[in-house]
Amino acid sequence: MSLKPYSKLPELNTANVLLVENEEEFQKRLSEAIVRQENSVNVTVRLARCLPLPVENAEGRPRIDLVVFIVHLRSEQSLLSTEASLKHLDSGYFLGKVCFLVTGARSGTVSYERLASIKRTAASLNCPLLMTEDKTTEGVHTAAQRVLNILKVSAGLVPMASGLYLSTLIRCSMPTDSDWQNQD
Amino acid sequence: MDADELLKNAKAVANNMSEYQHNLPQDTPDDREFPEAARTELLDECEEQYEQLQQLQNEITLAESESPQNPPNQAADRASALRAELKEWLEIQPNLLSSNPEVLLAVGKEELPRLNKQLEMVLSCSQAKRDKLKEVLKSEQKWLEEKKEVLKAATEQVIVLQQENDRLSEKGVLEDMKKKVQKVKDYQDSLLETLGDILAEHFPLPVQEGNANKKKKGITTEPRADLISLHDILELLMNKFVETPHEPYVMINETFWPPYIEMLLRHGIASRHPEDCFKIRLEAFY
Repeated sequence: MSLKPYSKLPELNTANVLLVENEEEFQKRLSEAIVRQENSVNVTVRLARCLPLPVENAEGRPRIDLVVFIVHLRSEQSLLSTEASLKHLDSGYFLGKVCFLVTGARSGTVSYERLASIKRTAASLNCPLLMTEDKTTEGVHTAAQRVLNILKVSAGLVPMASGLYLSTLIRCSMPTDSDWQNQD
Repeated sequence: MDADELLKNAKAVANNMSEYQHNLPQDTPDDREFPEAARTELLDECEEQYEQLQQLQNEITLAESESPQNPPNQAADRASALRAELKEWLEIQPNLLSSNPEVLLAVGKEELPRLNKQLEMVLSCSQAKRDKLKEVLKSEQKWLEEKKEVLKAATEQVIVLQQENDRLSEKGVLEDMKKKVQKVKDYQDSLLETLGDILAEHFPLPVQEGNANKKKKGITTEPRADLISLHDILELLMNKFVETPHEPYVMINETFWPPYIEMLLRHGIASRHPEDCFKIRLEAFY
């Protein structure tokens, strides 16, 4: 059973974000940073290794307003796991309730193929792709802030803005071949 | 902008705040004073909204269960969703939050401190920016002063160089030469004058007929009356020397007093012609 965005009633002043990360190393720090930063809205962060989510506690799970896929460019497994998880998400989520978080893009040893691949995926799904730094406290802080901003919009807490509208504006664009040639 | 600076400004703003704090109205009265009627009204409104929400949720669930699981088409889904949202935006009418004045008052009271806080931040931010700009202005002015001084110095240098240039130019050199020539001429004149004075004072012509002299020599011939002075002899020699350098010799005649000629020859001022002993010339001093 795939996760659906509108299957449950929203709660008052609440935003729920689901962080999906195969390695489970960055999501904990990121979730702490997110919760620490936001104090006007009740934010809950749920963590998952991959999708689909277990069926047992589906009833008690609140409505998920934003799904964040964390992809580490250092490992191939991270990318493959993300690709697999995407299949278990309802198409309604791709209308402004999904974003990708890429780490390690600054490292020179990372193959451009992986980055190109995740960029292509994000572009084909019209989702925003955030480049973040997971090694420094400041980087985590910034990442949390950016996720929070998107979350607030997609949870409907920002008047006059919707997740669909925002994701149309900040979606990842398809990398062209020349971009990669230049980097090589 | 610096975090420190911001903090400083925030503190300054806080100080300013305290100055007009007494002008501000008292804090909002707590909820107990809130009229029951307004509260009921709001709750009613909430209920209404919630009912609407539930209704919509039911519709969604219904639609989801009804629609067959057709293969998801991202682009089409997105396009239709965007179209729907656009339509919604076009049709939406801004509606008043509530017509109840009590509710509006409460909302306003809540909103104002927030606005106040934001404006304070803007104020401190712009103050910090202003201070920064002042500093920039100061440094720019200093820089301008420095540049002005440099310009002044450069102009002076240019003037000096121009003068130098003038001096070194043809006209300048000529002028300089003329001055030097004049100076040398003056010097020469003064030298000649001094020489004339010395000659007149110390080398008089033998006009006086000393008795002792006569008695001693007895038969000494009377000196000629038309003898010329040493001064004249020298003048003659010099003129000859300058006018005809190839032939500087002067014939000695009766008007030259022999002791003077002897003196000139002995002191190396004049010399005889090697072949003609009646000719003398000025010694070549150069």
